Amino acid sequence: LQGLKIEETMPRYFFALLAAAVALPAAGEPEFTHDIQPLLAAKCGACHSGAKPQAGLAVHTRDELMKGGASGPAIVPGNGASSLIVMRVSGANSARMPPTGDPLTTEQIETLRRWIDGGAKVAAAAAQYPAASLSLAAPELPQAPALWSLNPIDRIVYAYFERWKTELPAVVSDAQFARRVYLDLWGLSPAPGELTAFLATAADGKRTALVERLLADNQLYGQHWISFWNDLLRNDEGVIYHGGRASITKWLLNALESNKRYDAFVSELLNPTADGGAEGFLAGVNWRGDVSASQTPPMQAAMNSAQVFLGANLKCAACHDSFVSRWKLRQTYGLASFFSEGPMKLVRCDVELEERAEPRFLFPELGEVAIDATLAERRQAAARMFTAPENGRFARTVMNRLWKQLLGRGIVEPVDDMDAEPWSRELLDWLAADFVQNGYDLKRTMRLIATSRAYQLPADAGVDAPYRFRGPRVRRLSAEQFVDGISQVTGEWRVLIPRTAGAGSYAREWRFKSSPLTRALGRPIRDQVYTERETKATTLQALEMVNGRELSRMLWRGARKMLGQLPAAPAPLMDSGNLGGGALRALARKPLGGARRLHLLIEDMESYDPKRVVAGWADAYLYRADGSRVALATLAADRKFTVGSIQTRDEPAEVMMAGFPSQLVFDLEDKGFIEFEAKAAVQAQPSAVGILPNLRFFVFTEEPVPDSLVAVTGEPPVAAPARARTTSELIDGIWMRAYGRRPSVQEVAAAERIAGRPVSAAGLEDLLWSVFLSAEYQFIP
Amino acid sequence: MNELFHKLDRRHFLKASASATLAAVASGEARLLAQSKPKATADTVILLWMAGGMAQTETFDPKRYTPFEPGIESKAVLSTFPQIDTAVDNIKLTAGLERIARVMDRGALVRSHRVGDLGFILHARHQYHWHTGYTPPQTVAAPHIGAMIARTLGPKNPDMPAFIDVGQNLEIGAESDSLKAFHTAGFLGTEYGPFFIPRSSDAMTAVQPPPHMNDARFRARYANYRALMEASPVAREGSDYQRESLRRSIENAHRLLNSPAAKAFDLSLESKETVDEYNTGQFGLGCLLARRLAEAGARFVEVTTEYIPFRFWDTHESGHQRAAAMKETIDRPIARLILDLEERGLLDRTLVVMASEFGRDAMIEGKPDRTVKDQVDVPERMTEIKHYGMHRHFTEAGSVLLFGGGIKKGFLYGETAPERPCRIVKEPVTIEDLHATIFQAMGIAADTSYLVEKRPFYVTKDGKGVPVVELFA
Repeated sequence: LQGLKIEETMPRYFFALLAAAVALPAAGEPEFTHDIQPLLAAKCGACHSGAKPQAGLAVHTRDELMKGGASGPAIVPGNGASSLIVMRVSGANSARMPPTGDPLTTEQIETLRRWIDGGAKVAAAAAQYPAASLSLAAPELPQAPALWSLNPIDRIVYAYFERWKTELPAVVSDAQFARRVYLDLWGLSPAPGELTAFLATAADGKRTALVERLLADNQLYGQHWISFWNDLLRNDEGVIYHGGRASITKWLLNALESNKRYDAFVSELLNPTADGGAEGFLAGVNWRGDVSASQTPPMQAAMNSAQVFLGANLKCAACHDSFVSRWKLRQTYGLASFFSEGPMKLVRCDVELEERAEPRFLFPELGEVAIDATLAERRQAAARMFTAPENGRFARTVMNRLWKQLLGRGIVEPVDDMDAEPWSRELLDWLAADFVQNGYDLKRTMRLIATSRAYQLPADAGVDAPYRFRGPRVRRLSAEQFVDGISQVTGEWRVLIPRTAGAGSYAREWRFKSSPLTRALGRPIRDQVYTERETKATTLQALEMVNGRELSRMLWRGARKMLGQLPAAPAPLMDSGNLGGGALRALARKPLGGARRLHLLIEDMESYDPKRVVAGWADAYLYRADGSRVALATLAADRKFTVGSIQTRDEPAEVMMAGFPSQLVFDLEDKGFIEFEAKAAVQAQPSAVGILPNLRFFVFTEEPVPDSLVAVTGEPPVAAPARARTTSELIDGIWMRAYGRRPSVQEVAAAERIAGRPVSAAGLEDLLWSVFLSAEYQFIP
Repeated sequence: MNELFHKLDRRHFLKASASATLAAVASGEARLLAQSKPKATADTVILLWMAGGMAQTETFDPKRYTPFEPGIESKAVLSTFPQIDTAVDNIKLTAGLERIARVMDRGALVRSHRVGDLGFILHARHQYHWHTGYTPPQTVAAPHIGAMIARTLGPKNPDMPAFIDVGQNLEIGAESDSLKAFHTAGFLGTEYGPFFIPRSSDAMTAVQPPPHMNDARFRARYANYRALMEASPVAREGSDYQRESLRRSIENAHRLLNSPAAKAFDLSLESKETVDEYNTGQFGLGCLLARRLAEAGARFVEVTTEYIPFRFWDTHESGHQRAAAMKETIDRPIARLILDLEERGLLDRTLVVMASEFGRDAMIEGKPDRTVKDQVDVPERMTEIKHYGMHRHFTEAGSVLLFGGGIKKGFLYGETAPERPCRIVKEPVTIEDLHATIFQAMGIAADTSYLVEKRPFYVTKDGKGVPVVELFA
């Protein structure tokens, strides 16, 4: 069956397209959505839009132009020169439009004329799908040959291929499938042992079994998918805007690990219970100071929830009726009113209107709420309407997002405009109906998709416009996958030091603040909702990889870890735990154990304003065997420090200070000290000023390793590779983990040359660099 | 041409690029909408950013001078520096800016810059507003003006990043994320974002091999990389276009690091005399770096006095002494930068702009007619020297310098009242209009727009910025 050519038949769908005058313009020919609409919105939209457009003419859609206004139709398709709109903007025989501001340029008028001459076409991608009924009905599944009938998705895709006379490609190899599905469900590459076992088995249904096994590991699944949801829900750790932003990480991780029903998941975000941990989504990102009416917290809640959960872009309609979609200002305020403490008045482009907003859902057929309902009742009503089984758009939107995550391109694009035409209505509706019928189970859909032949097809290079499904798009590793993958190969993971004292733990990249490297690789800063990551290869990104400090540090440590040459991080002699403003904590006298050096560190644990923290060491004494003691402040350190008085909560303290954060090293060699004691002191903060110190004091007797100051408990996210006994084992391990295959003979030779004989740490660093910069590592074909 | 490019089938690559462009358009990538194109008078912008709020009455807009005496009334104090003459008769500055005073005949001073009034003052938010032209929060990520210029004009020298940002560390505690929010190309894509040089004294490290790696190893590493890729049996991973653009990006990075342009980052190539002249600290060296980058063909360079809450231009307590110290930081390097650019024949096509997120006043927080929550207590009488100076944030008026790039010489524009609240009395210039002026000089119309999520996003807010034509020669 594979490679089957379908007989040439004109798809019925094609006629439907023609009938709606929705044909593909030839290359270079102007097209409405990209060339004309933005121009008209910019030049004419201010007057010719809204409930009462000037002269009755609105200019947002081709239909509106056809309908025209008081003077008749604005366009005559096929005849640009005699179209009213062309005459008016060129000022041919009446006053020129627009009456104020710059007129259209000659090129712009020419573009408009050519567009009309060419039949006033709208590209297929811009065709709208509002025709879809809001409620869902699973379409009947078409028949398909045996191989394509096991999974309902495949029956639809088979019929689609048949309709478009697409050649049926073979599915990808087991190895390629394994890498793809591990990265998609866990965000990690398969461990070599697991991959080998998977390849070796000949069991029927082994791919399905693998998908099920991966989905069953709640923890690894959650640790990968949380980045996707963090982007969508603009959640991040350690990220502050004045006005605050509450993290929902704990709630979100739990929701993913427990595979919370998606209707309940969204209900909790839209109608959060106090202390439930999900309150942060509605709170939004708020900066101190005045905020435009379109950006108040309830308006942010309306825009974000509509975008994320319903694929409706209300951003334009938060200020005025949208020029590019069907959404109106009143609708945005209607939705915002579900989340607003008090009543809201409509504000159009910063001018308050004499119209009070009433809580009204975007799709009124889903119900209503009393105008005097309490905030709690309104939120509850919003949660109900968003997640109602009759709200097919809710299910379609998330199905489309999952499809895009797993196959690289949505069934509808852009994914935030669910009014756009899907490449297969049947597929989208079937997935959504199945999802609703089976308890809004996200993992069920992922299992369906990942076990389909459609998912297992060879990657499509993505050359069509308009889009035709041929298989998944080639995808690029996310920033988190890129970094975690390096740790997987080297066994060296970053350590997360908790903000609230305690031991450190190994953690995957998503747990840390974004860095120049991860930002260059597309991790957003999440001050907006992000539903799509940037995946372009750019020079600035390459510079981060070629000479950036972070990657080079990761490789420096990673290579030494692999060779067993990474010095173990010493444990601190003393650790104050986390201290706030005004603290004075005694660190009990401890034997020095013959130490030759004393390292005194004061570390920042994310103080609100670290540059204004004042802290130091008080009552620091070294003891000799005879019981006599010497004040540490009388000794010289490796750098200058000052001695001064600071005010702690209860008393003033004389402290040694060297700025903040700081490190002082004292040479104790041959001085006969056997014990040390000290106090950690932090300046009490003046009440009015937000410094919020959060510090931790450490004393080490050996050179401390930055990032590894505290003891680490727990295991790394995946088991570290065993130390390779031979060079070829080492190279094999790298290739298996990074690429999911063994190296070729030529590659082994090249790799050995790079790594050195015997392997040197520097050589291995360079080899790892080459591997991680390769397209084979960075892309998921 | 290196061997990589020889190996590439050009026709194949063009085909792949074309399809990628189509894909990009289909995916809604920001796209330039056709607009008129004014005649450019500059090819390069150097923005000297006075982060933290530069007190205008202590710098470029002198008012009545009141020397310190214990017990003076706070509200009587307008300037804590006497005024000085400049090379231009009708332009006076404050003491401490003698060198800039001597080059005032090369540029224009705007005393009527009116920034946004965003309510409760927040530095990072006003900086965001100034740098993007839009008030946060926004529904799409707004690009930095440097990114807009980089996107619209591209690099001037292809080996030089089009947008270079010098002097700001993004991890400063509480306001870090607010800073990151505008140090970005936003929806235009990271490609047009800033190339960061957080410390100008370490600029060379940005174009050098990583630490612990010498040049020989760095070169060998790249050669080995290519050899290893040649040895790969997996000929086709990723689409042709993606693979090629990844290879090309890595190639570009190496080309930049090995190009003559990279030498522009190396301040050690300057004479000791020159370095000493500029070296008033990181900002001063940043000005020297900006000159070198402009010589090597940079498109947009921002050099900032670092923003750290309560440091540098964020003068609260001891405002007078701190303003004096800041003037010492900027006076010599800015003046020397102008003279150096002139001497090299670059000033005519290089627009140098100096601005700040707002001005300062001893008494008023926010705007005269709409004061906001005081953030600093000011005593009625100044009993100690630490009370002496401009402690509060003033959004009504600030000063801006413009040199070169087609700007009038020895020209004064705008005026503020001689007495508190020292309002703008003539020729106000908003952020939109100042940006429109910068864009105009670069040959970019103020209503140039990019398509994002199907709607136009303009380089000046709503496309409404109006260039200040009086500023052009």
